[in-house]
Amino acid sequence: MNCTTNNPAARRYMRRFAVTMLLYVLFLVLAVWVFVHRHPTGVLAYALAVLPALPAIGLLAVFGLYLAEEKDDFQRFIGVQAMLWGIGGTLAVTTIWGFLENFVHIRHLDLILVFPIFWAFFGISLPILLARYK
Amino acid sequence: MKNRLRVLRAEREWSQADLAARLEVSRQSVNAIETGKYDPSLPLAFKLARLFDTTIEGIFSDES
Repeated sequence: MNCTTNNPAARRYMRRFAVTMLLYVLFLVLAVWVFVHRHPTGVLAYALAVLPALPAIGLLAVFGLYLAEEKDDFQRFIGVQAMLWGIGGTLAVTTIWGFLENFVHIRHLDLILVFPIFWAFFGISLPILLARYK
Repeated sequence: MKNRLRVLRAEREWSQADLAARLEVSRQSVNAIETGKYDPSLPLAFKLARLFDTTIEGIFSDES
């Protein structure tokens, strides 16, 4: 995945990524503000709690769109490999953490961290994968 | 997969970036194919063959 070129699919991906991240920040700030100042209950509380998760999940759709629109099959191959590293890394870390929690009672891993762990593995693997083909 | 891309490119005095621009792919893609680290899709192989006015077998060989 090469976002530094004049590749139209990569440019669209960057634009959609920026908009989705902006929505994530806005929804998160809104949810925190409402919970702190208005103390919502019932369905509204559930809806507000889930609100910031929607753009976070949307990031996966944004990347899926990139893969569907990218005409350069090598760049698609790199993108899919980075996704696999993200998924594999997340499963490895959470599985190991789960066993450590059960057997040696380490601190509980907050589920909200699963998504950042995935993107961290994705982000780290991308330049490494690209470096193999320089 | 073995290929003659470097030779074909040299005959036309094209850089990897020149070839990438003609194929509408990234330079990294051309390099990955040329060094045999990545096998192109069938549509890209046909595009390469048309660009160099030859056949796919004229560029790529499955001999190890």
